[in-house]
Amino acid sequence: MDINYQIPRAALLWILVSVVLVIIPQSIRMPFWLSAVALLCVGWRLLIFSGRLDYPGKAMRVAVVVFTLIISVSQMRNLGVGLESASSLLTLGFVFKLIEMRYKRDIYVVICLSFLMCMVAFLYSQSVLVTIYIAFCVMVIIGAMIALNRSTLQADHRSTWRMAMRIAAQAVPLTIVLFLVFPRIAPLWAVPVQTSAGRTGVSDEMSPGDLSALGRSNELAFRVQFENGPPPLHEDLYWRGLVLENFDGETWTRRRGRSAYSGAAEYANFQFTWRDRVRLGGEPLTYNVIQEPTQQPWIYGLHLAEPLSRNIYQSRNFEAFNNGLIAKRISYDMQSYMSSQTDLILLDSARRRNLDVPQQGNERSREFAQQLRSSVNSDRDYVNAVLSHFQQNPFYYTLNPELLGDNRIDDFLFNTRQGFCEHYASTFGFLMRAAGVPTRVVVGYQGAEYNRFEDYMMVYQYNAHAWNEVWLEGEGWVRFDPTAAVSPTRIRLGVEAALQDDPGFLDESLLAAVGRFNWVNTLRLRLDAIEYEWNRRVVNYDEEVQFELFERLFGEVTQQKAMLLLIALASIVILGVGMTIIRIEPRGQQDPVVRLYNRISDELAKVGLERRKGEGPLSYRDRVVASKPELATVMAELTDLYVQISYRNQAADSGVDRQQFAALQSCFRQLKSVLSPLRQRLS
Amino acid sequence: MFSVDLDKQSAPVVDNQFSQQVDRTVGEVSKALLGKGHQIRLALCCLFSGGHLLIEDLPGMGKTTLSYALAKAMGLEYTRIQFTSDLLPADILGITIFDQNSGQFQFHPGPIFSQLVLADEINRTTPKTQSALLEAMEERQVTVEGETRVLPEPFFVIATQNPVTLAGTYPLPESQLDRFLMRLRLGYPDQRAERELLEMNTEWDKVEEVSQCLSTADVANFRKRSAEVNASPALLDYVQRLVAYTRGKDDFHYGLSPRGSLAMMRAAKTWALMCGRDHVVPEDVQVILPAVVEHRLRAATDEDGHTGGSLVQRLLSEVDVIS
Repeated sequence: MDINYQIPRAALLWILVSVVLVIIPQSIRMPFWLSAVALLCVGWRLLIFSGRLDYPGKAMRVAVVVFTLIISVSQMRNLGVGLESASSLLTLGFVFKLIEMRYKRDIYVVICLSFLMCMVAFLYSQSVLVTIYIAFCVMVIIGAMIALNRSTLQADHRSTWRMAMRIAAQAVPLTIVLFLVFPRIAPLWAVPVQTSAGRTGVSDEMSPGDLSALGRSNELAFRVQFENGPPPLHEDLYWRGLVLENFDGETWTRRRGRSAYSGAAEYANFQFTWRDRVRLGGEPLTYNVIQEPTQQPWIYGLHLAEPLSRNIYQSRNFEAFNNGLIAKRISYDMQSYMSSQTDLILLDSARRRNLDVPQQGNERSREFAQQLRSSVNSDRDYVNAVLSHFQQNPFYYTLNPELLGDNRIDDFLFNTRQGFCEHYASTFGFLMRAAGVPTRVVVGYQGAEYNRFEDYMMVYQYNAHAWNEVWLEGEGWVRFDPTAAVSPTRIRLGVEAALQDDPGFLDESLLAAVGRFNWVNTLRLRLDAIEYEWNRRVVNYDEEVQFELFERLFGEVTQQKAMLLLIALASIVILGVGMTIIRIEPRGQQDPVVRLYNRISDELAKVGLERRKGEGPLSYRDRVVASKPELATVMAELTDLYVQISYRNQAADSGVDRQQFAALQSCFRQLKSVLSPLRQRLS
Repeated sequence: MFSVDLDKQSAPVVDNQFSQQVDRTVGEVSKALLGKGHQIRLALCCLFSGGHLLIEDLPGMGKTTLSYALAKAMGLEYTRIQFTSDLLPADILGITIFDQNSGQFQFHPGPIFSQLVLADEINRTTPKTQSALLEAMEERQVTVEGETRVLPEPFFVIATQNPVTLAGTYPLPESQLDRFLMRLRLGYPDQRAERELLEMNTEWDKVEEVSQCLSTADVANFRKRSAEVNASPALLDYVQRLVAYTRGKDDFHYGLSPRGSLAMMRAAKTWALMCGRDHVVPEDVQVILPAVVEHRLRAATDEDGHTGGSLVQRLLSEVDVIS
């Protein structure tokens, strides 16, 4: 190894740029000091190059290793063993490698690490934007490799960049093929869960204030596409999440502990009795949901949703669960019977569960409920009476309700009368149960934004909603939404319309402010449509989809067929590479004019008038015209132009005259058009 | 097999001062040498390029006629030296003789001090005399008795050589053949030309009819302007491919020398100028190629140096003009 090796200036520049580029996605997520260390190292490397600093000595290197170790240990203690601590360790090692980058070998290490950093970025996000950015990074890294291997004389950044782009473009077909056919093996090791990422979305308990916090978030919850027919009306879009049956006077919670979420027994048990408990009505509505990661297991569907995808199971209350936490975006298909009825016979245990209210507290409300119930004949009338109570008294729908006192229900019902959906659902549930009507709270989302560009719907966190299901004799569980009684706009037009003037709604979001402009909104929808397609077609391309694709293309997939396909693809790739290598040798430097002229000769060869090897353009013209007089004009013009370009033009480096070349091209087209009738006659 | 048709003008001729002058000169010379337009043109090309010409043919084919007619048409001072085995260098270059009247040595210039010298049957003289002539051709000056004398301007040598009956002759070796820009063969006249020839009174009369149509200045102008003719990179590529072809093959005894490739370029440029163009096209190279390189090439199996012709045909057909 050459002791005096000096990294070429241009190469160093390219490498530092690529290092900075690949660290940017990390630094957004990582603590600030990490970016500072990275910048320090880049600066140090520049100073080494300019001769003002030396490579780190032994003591320094030991110090750096110790520092890295300390940092990693403390990171692991703070964040746990996970993606963050691992990737920050990698980042540290990566940037420290920079300052001892002395020989070509070190540069290759840095370049390999840069590629690795690109992959790390994909662990966090696989959106279109990140993909485009990483593709750009990859091109810069390729540029760094090119610059490293070029002599200083050819170190022109623009040509390096062009070459990098060319190499990247050449890799695209192979990438597509690999993407489509490479076996999708389940990861050999699980990607550690992002420990610091918060659980988002609707939670499995509801106390006042929970949903209004979600109501301020404009993050996407999931996207839905209806597959057979138009989507239901906005007011029917109740995305059921969880059914909350326990009420302690303040908080509604789900029936059992979290351990029950992943129970195969429950699934098997449910399958057995499912058909007995429902009376199906109407045509099934199928739809595909692509859900953003929530770090929770439950998923969302419309009324009586039956999951069609694997790894999704259903609970007794027709909630749907993914097998495991949703740590990455998932896609699943559902089928709903919108006008079906469930649980026409209510088991005693269920009735007891759904009538249970705390013995103490909220005396006024309890009294009010019992009074109202005795004044009407049926449970349904009672429900209507309560709903009209909400409707006729000055209740307000707002994100910023006043705080409630100890007896929350009383306080809300008779004093503040301001609340978000959870207040209404909670109060309604209490009133029902107090009067002996089985009732439960359902949390999920209501409404959606329609994206006309790709014909799908977007459900945001601010669509989070809570409503009730009341069990009525002969009808089973019936959905009632007390919020609709207070604010019909919320249900019919969506939360945006209902809370347009509410100061709490999306006030931190700039997007909402500019969202009033029409074109911004269109742009937003269009971008989301791209993202949606990307998620659907690229990110969610898994083993199953791959298998389906193969089946569609080649019929039933057997091992033999798979083998043949792999061999065929491998040979295509090898052939392609071989052809490029062969073609680079003799044809690499060929002049476009000569190439065009040879094409002309090839064209004429089809009528038996190929240019002979030792034939000059003029004698060739004479021979062609002698045998095909109808080509006289075009051949004369074409030959004149060719001679003009190839033999008449003066300087060697002035390049080909664009205009003349274009004229020659048009001559070629003309020749082809003259030739085509001749060829037909020939055949 | 493809070959350049020697008697056909495949390169385009642009009507201008140069092409007209050439046409007129060819017309004049053709009065004396019937039906040999292409050879006359090549001979002119050789002279305009400032090179010397070797005409190789059987006796009585009009070698002398051609040179004399050329001299007349171009208005050049003309001498003829008949080479014999006892010719000495001094017989060509001149000698210094003591003049008794003036009491001084006086130089008597030999026949070489002329604008156009016909060296007839050059292979019949001894190598010593041959080399005296060749030196003069190369240097355009002669040194006699320690004194250097410049030859007139322009200075052309047309040498003739008899390819048969070689007994008692000294054929020029390759190194000396290389000094001639072109080697021409006149060949038998075609039937029509021969008939016309027979109908004439004598050959000599016809030469007398040739009138001067070019001046010395015109000839100098041709030489000057031919150097300015443009040879594009594509054309130079072709010339280099031709040269490389001769160097890389086993059947060529030896490849073309740089002098050979220079000669090719010079002649091609002059030919382009004679056609009235300011740029060389591949056809120009192909037209002059046989005359310029035939005598510089020899097949590996060749003994007497007359296989250049077929090698040139291979060059013409196998080297790609456009690549």
